[in-house]
Amino acid sequence: MRLGTAHTYDAALELLMKRQVEMSGQQEKLTSGKRINRASDDPTGASQAERALTRLSRLETDQRSLALQRNALTVAESTLGESTSLIQRFRELVVSAGNTSYNTRDRETIALQLTGLRDQIFSLANKTDSNGIPLFGGLGSAGEPFVDATAGVAFQGIPGQRASTEISVPGAMDGQAIWMKVPSGNGVFNIAPNPANTGAVWTDMGQVTNPGAVTGDNYAIAFSVAAGVTTYSVTNTTTAITVATGQPFVSGQAITFDGLSMVVNGTPQNADAVQISPSTTMDMFAVLDDAISGIRNATTGSSASQAVAQALTQIDSGMDRLQAAQGQAGEWLNRADTITDAQAQQTVQLEADRSRAEDLDMVKGISDFQKTQTGYQAALQSYAQVQKLSLFNFIN
Amino acid sequence: MSGILNIGTRALLANQAALQVAGNNIANVNTPGYSRQSVVLQNVAGEFTGSGYYGKGVEITTVQRNHSEFLTRQAALSSSVAASDSKRLEQLRQLEDIFQGGPNGLGAAVGDMLNSFADVASAPTDLTARTVVLTRADETAARFRAAANSLAELKQGVGIELNASVAAVNSLARQIASVNEEIARSKGTGQTPNDLLDQRDQLIREVNQYVQTTSIAADDGTVGLFLANSHPLVLGTAVSQLTLVSDDFSDPSKTKLAIQRAGQTTLLEEATLGGGEMAGLLRFQNTDLVEAGNLLGRMALAIGGSMNEQHQLGLDLNGNAGGNLFNLGSIPAGLAAASNTGTATLTASVQSSPVSGTTSFAASDYEVTFTSGTAGNIVRLSDGQVSAFNLAVTNPAQVDGLDIQIGAGSATAGDRFLLKPFSTASGSIATAFSSPRSLAMASPVAASAGINNTGDGAVVSLAARSNPAPAAVTLTFTGPGTYTRSDTGATPYTYTPGQAIEYDMVPPATNGWSLVVSGNPQTGDTFTVQANAYPTLNAGNAETILGLRDVAMFDGAVLTDGYSGVMAQVGVRVQSADFAANISKSIADNIEADRTAVSGVNLDEEAAKLLQFQQSYQAAAKMLQISQSIFDTLLQGMGR
Repeated sequence: MRLGTAHTYDAALELLMKRQVEMSGQQEKLTSGKRINRASDDPTGASQAERALTRLSRLETDQRSLALQRNALTVAESTLGESTSLIQRFRELVVSAGNTSYNTRDRETIALQLTGLRDQIFSLANKTDSNGIPLFGGLGSAGEPFVDATAGVAFQGIPGQRASTEISVPGAMDGQAIWMKVPSGNGVFNIAPNPANTGAVWTDMGQVTNPGAVTGDNYAIAFSVAAGVTTYSVTNTTTAITVATGQPFVSGQAITFDGLSMVVNGTPQNADAVQISPSTTMDMFAVLDDAISGIRNATTGSSASQAVAQALTQIDSGMDRLQAAQGQAGEWLNRADTITDAQAQQTVQLEADRSRAEDLDMVKGISDFQKTQTGYQAALQSYAQVQKLSLFNFIN
Repeated sequence: MSGILNIGTRALLANQAALQVAGNNIANVNTPGYSRQSVVLQNVAGEFTGSGYYGKGVEITTVQRNHSEFLTRQAALSSSVAASDSKRLEQLRQLEDIFQGGPNGLGAAVGDMLNSFADVASAPTDLTARTVVLTRADETAARFRAAANSLAELKQGVGIELNASVAAVNSLARQIASVNEEIARSKGTGQTPNDLLDQRDQLIREVNQYVQTTSIAADDGTVGLFLANSHPLVLGTAVSQLTLVSDDFSDPSKTKLAIQRAGQTTLLEEATLGGGEMAGLLRFQNTDLVEAGNLLGRMALAIGGSMNEQHQLGLDLNGNAGGNLFNLGSIPAGLAAASNTGTATLTASVQSSPVSGTTSFAASDYEVTFTSGTAGNIVRLSDGQVSAFNLAVTNPAQVDGLDIQIGAGSATAGDRFLLKPFSTASGSIATAFSSPRSLAMASPVAASAGINNTGDGAVVSLAARSNPAPAAVTLTFTGPGTYTRSDTGATPYTYTPGQAIEYDMVPPATNGWSLVVSGNPQTGDTFTVQANAYPTLNAGNAETILGLRDVAMFDGAVLTDGYSGVMAQVGVRVQSADFAANISKSIADNIEADRTAVSGVNLDEEAAKLLQFQQSYQAAAKMLQISQSIFDTLLQGMGR
């Protein structure tokens, strides 16, 4: 075997170059801290890292959206709390208006205070989040979902509730369900003394004694006074069937029929009547307005107390709805916390995935670099040594 | 007496010649292509006498060129393959730089663009969020165009290099022919023209760097050089001209080598070229670059197209239906083969019915061959998948999300077209408008729950499938798992919790809307889907666009993962080219070492030879001296 001198030089030089390139590659990895600096270093790892990066930036977006939703919900929750306490004050004033010693002027004063509270509550219902989205807009609404018109408050939005998903909670609550769906009366039926009554008749809100017997029909209790004896008869006005007739009336005693029970007080005159109708829904503001007008327009203590009794029941059921909604908002906030925790965990996970795929194991990187460096040094030294050797050195 | 003088003189001359050859070897130690020479010595036939044969000294037969025909040929061949592989690798590395990953890559730009819609979904009226979306969209489009530009620049660079290579090969071929002529002329001298042979071998090596050749020696000492196994580049002293031509379809993205001989142009198929830089360049240009362009173009067309479709399903801040978000340019018409006899033009567009084709693209060119005026085959060139079509039955023909039809004229059997649907998309993509108010982020439909609903059914998502919304439809749940629709009367439909309720009852649902309800709707609960009455504060379409991130789009990979696939595909190409280049280089290096072991000059050896022949020369001189002193002795004896 012989060696071509020129070729040995070329080959040695090329090997040196190769070592140098190798070393600069190792150095690049060390300085960037990455095992993969271009896709061809490890195509699978590079695409894994790329996917992890995509997921990470998406997670970041999800987190930002969730933060906004959480902010909106927090505001909604505290708004509901604030509304509840305002309604609580409203209720206290209504209770005080039931005081039979108050005269019309006193009730007027209370009615004025009540109106102020009612307006505050109304403005709370139209509150928006930091981006101007109504908190109680349901599935979409105008900028102000509640409009105070002469015919009453109208909901200018789409009723319904957004569901929460694995990555989000609703940013708006269903205003229709929260503010516009207060059951009238006791939730099953309404009792109202006939406006044409001449005697003083007032009632409680009644109750259901046998839910199985409830028909949901309209009834009328008619009183007749004959020879100082007051009797009453009950007619189902929907089916025009007489349910009871000629029953003796005792003020403060319960009247019971078809699973319903109510207490009628006072001294009814002949032909006075009490109407019973199935419960409907009304809006919270109508409840408040009714209470205000009932108190303002009450001419006597007894009619005031009828208005107060009705208002209190309805305010209570309205407040129940607000509190239930507040609970729901709290539940969603909890859910948002859970999602945040899960996202934080996922971020760590993805970051680890990305790092595993493309980051350099520093210890290995440094050791590899030193190995290459030593190799290069040895190559340089041996090159210099070998090139010194020539037979010509020995010919003089 | 004269015998010894003659022998001495001969020895003197022979060793002087040997020293000269060694000196020539030393002088040419670094000359490329130089083959080591050595003198062949022979003893002169002895003179017969009665007392036996007396040698008459030494003579030089010839100056021998040390080389191995086999190794020289193998070295040229293997270095040709190595040149091809390393050239392709060099180009692929540049291509890889265009497809970078990480937070500055095209993939991140696409992801960021889609993610930015989340901010609009959170704040539909926030013009800043909308401006961010438009800026990101513009940025993404610019990235696509920049990548397409870089591909075009690469292609241009390859073109320039190919032209220079062709010129170099043609010039080398002429030089080989003239060396051939000189060698043939010196054939009569009886001695081998060593330096001319070296020169020719070196020229052949240089040609092989550009394109692999086969050389066959002729009787007259000339060598014939053949390309692609059988096409003569040099035959004796005749030279054929190498040229670059476009392919059968005049495809602007491809070039082919052709050889012109006696007025005839013969196309050299790329697969038969073997090695050489030009083979590497052609393979890169005609395969790798086309593939990369298709991958990029498919991304642009699929992402741009699907976002356009979704954007059109929204309402902008002025309440108008959205237009295109991106201008994409139309799919270029098919390139007709030069041999076509029909007058037909072939057009292609993105399939729009029954479902949009944006999710079923394959990154490939297609060759359409007519077997009759209306029927034929479509070949997907990336994997050779053949699908038959018959325009008389189905027009347009649908392949991989593309509608293909005859644009004008009529086709005849045997007509062929090359369809490059993704060749222009990434170079032409641009945002269609710049006003943030024109972003159609609101949904044209809205779902409302019945106000007397007793169940906990809540709306998970509502996506519009057509714009404007169809007439209001109320869904009434009639029991667990069934519901009726207001537009179809009492017909009951099955409801599966968690699954979308489609306006179009028959798949594929492409009309109206798609509603997903969670929870347990109770009997009597209703949901009404109608035109959106409050579009200003709605961002339903932004949410649906966010959903595009998870749409399977690139051979099953979701939209946001599309780029990582492209990156990996290019990466794998570079990696395998790197392996190939390493292997072919080490083979070439080994064979070159073997060749130089035979032909190369070793200085130590030459130094030894210098010493050897110097000593022989000195000895021969001594012989002359002795001969002279013998003569002097004789003369002195005579003088007494």
